[in-house]
Amino acid sequence: MAEEVILKVEKLNKAFGGLKATNNVSYQMRTGELSAIIGPNGAGKSTFFNLLTGYHLPDSGNIFFKGVNITHWPPHKITRLGIARAFQVSNLYPRLTTYENVRQAILSQQKKTLNLFTPAHRLAKKETQELLEITGLSQQTNMTAGNLPQGDKKRLELAIALGNKPDLVFLDEPTAGMSGEETHETMELVKRLNEEIGLTILFTEHDMSVVFGYARRLTVLHQGTVIAEGTPEEVRANEDAQRVYLGEEA
Amino acid sequence: MKRYLFLGLIYALALVLPLFIGEFWIHVAVEILILGLFAVSFNMIFGYMGQLSFGHAAYYGVGAYVTGMLMVKASVPLAICLPLSMIGAGICALIIGYFCVRLTGIYFAILTMAFGQLIYYIIFKWYSFTRGDDGLQGIIAPPLLFSVNAYYYFTLFIATAALIVMWYISESPFGYTMRAIRDNADRTRFIGINVRKYMLINFVIAGMFAGLAGALWGPFNRSIAPDLTNWHHSGTPVFMTVIGGPFGFFGPMIGSVIYTFLMAFVTGFTEYWPLIIGLVIIFVVLFVPGGVLGFYESKMKVFRSKVPKSEETIP
Repeated sequence: MAEEVILKVEKLNKAFGGLKATNNVSYQMRTGELSAIIGPNGAGKSTFFNLLTGYHLPDSGNIFFKGVNITHWPPHKITRLGIARAFQVSNLYPRLTTYENVRQAILSQQKKTLNLFTPAHRLAKKETQELLEITGLSQQTNMTAGNLPQGDKKRLELAIALGNKPDLVFLDEPTAGMSGEETHETMELVKRLNEEIGLTILFTEHDMSVVFGYARRLTVLHQGTVIAEGTPEEVRANEDAQRVYLGEEA
Repeated sequence: MKRYLFLGLIYALALVLPLFIGEFWIHVAVEILILGLFAVSFNMIFGYMGQLSFGHAAYYGVGAYVTGMLMVKASVPLAICLPLSMIGAGICALIIGYFCVRLTGIYFAILTMAFGQLIYYIIFKWYSFTRGDDGLQGIIAPPLLFSVNAYYYFTLFIATAALIVMWYISESPFGYTMRAIRDNADRTRFIGINVRKYMLINFVIAGMFAGLAGALWGPFNRSIAPDLTNWHHSGTPVFMTVIGGPFGFFGPMIGSVIYTFLMAFVTGFTEYWPLIIGLVIIFVVLFVPGGVLGFYESKMKVFRSKVPKSEETIP
């Protein structure tokens, strides 16, 4: 555990009306982690991601990324600093092709989006092809993203997030809607990204076999509060976690 | 390749056009070019950025007034007036756009329209400076461009140059960022793009080219009036784009050909022009929602690709 802290969240709070979606959450990640946040529907997982990426502003608390306080930063600045996210419900550019979807993220990462006079098709060719191959989308490059099957949409979602060359990536249910085979492939890819290029990854997931098979550290959220945290074994043994969540599964 | 050949043919036709048609139709052709340029600039906001500007005539009108006033009051050569018109319209678009890009959808449309009306009333009421609704008369093109044929070639040259620049922008990373914002502005924020800033830049560029189109209008028509900036004139590029198709670069230009030609033709024998264009718009919206270009492209797709047919496209 000698790796440095990449993300540090202190006493984060967010309420929507009377509902406390995030209640005094403190959280920390070190470089190179592959961790998961679990919790029943409505536990506040997506809200937590939304707060960390600037989509919602927290009511109180602080978020530090690479030692910088990013608490009130807008999403585009946070992304530039190195956090990317893939959404639960695929959030693509439906009228652009798969290739153009990925290229857009890469062009943004390369700071070429203010270029007005070089045709985009000449830029970022190699990087885009590579990323499409890694994510298993090289057969679908010319398909309109809106017409892709669900599993491919989720893969494209991941490819766009990776196009930003992030240091930390949030994956909100990366395998939702995928077949067993696809789920396995996707999670193997996630694992490889973590091990080979040292990408720090935090994901949420409903499928417990995925969570316990891949995450090395788990955090259990319930009604906006962290109720358990630790290795998969520790969480499995934790009574609170069993009661609110794992109990339903067993 | 085929596409370039087709464009080349159209262009060759445009070059020899004055040999075959009379002076009246040359006038119509100039109008097609100017309004087509105006409509293509409008479509940078509508088709590429996905927002409806209902005050685009403001920048067209400002461009027309910058050139008109400089030529009438200070005898500035036309060649210098054109870039100044672009700058003038661009500054207006920068100030107005700064507020408008904070909104999207219907609110964006209403605010652009409100600001457009503001420009209209300023020009209308500021008699001592703009001569109000008397308009400006005697905007005379330089002797070289005095004949209608010469002005036609001049307009063709300027419009072509402007279209090439806009084409490059639409194919550039910036152009694709606009498509990205149109398709999914939220996602675009999460790939690190300051959406408002990009929308504002696009708004200004579109305003500048509208200003250029307006600048060409004055010396052609020899006079200008505040009506050029009024909201019903903002409707013209909307109609053209809807007819021609917003999802292709040349759609609005095709729309301009149809709209302007039809107007010249119909007003020749009846005053009920708005009725005719109304029927055309209803027909297009109901039966060819992608406009002429969209219709052509969807037909072509059926023949040549195996890509599954797209679900309803959402504008």
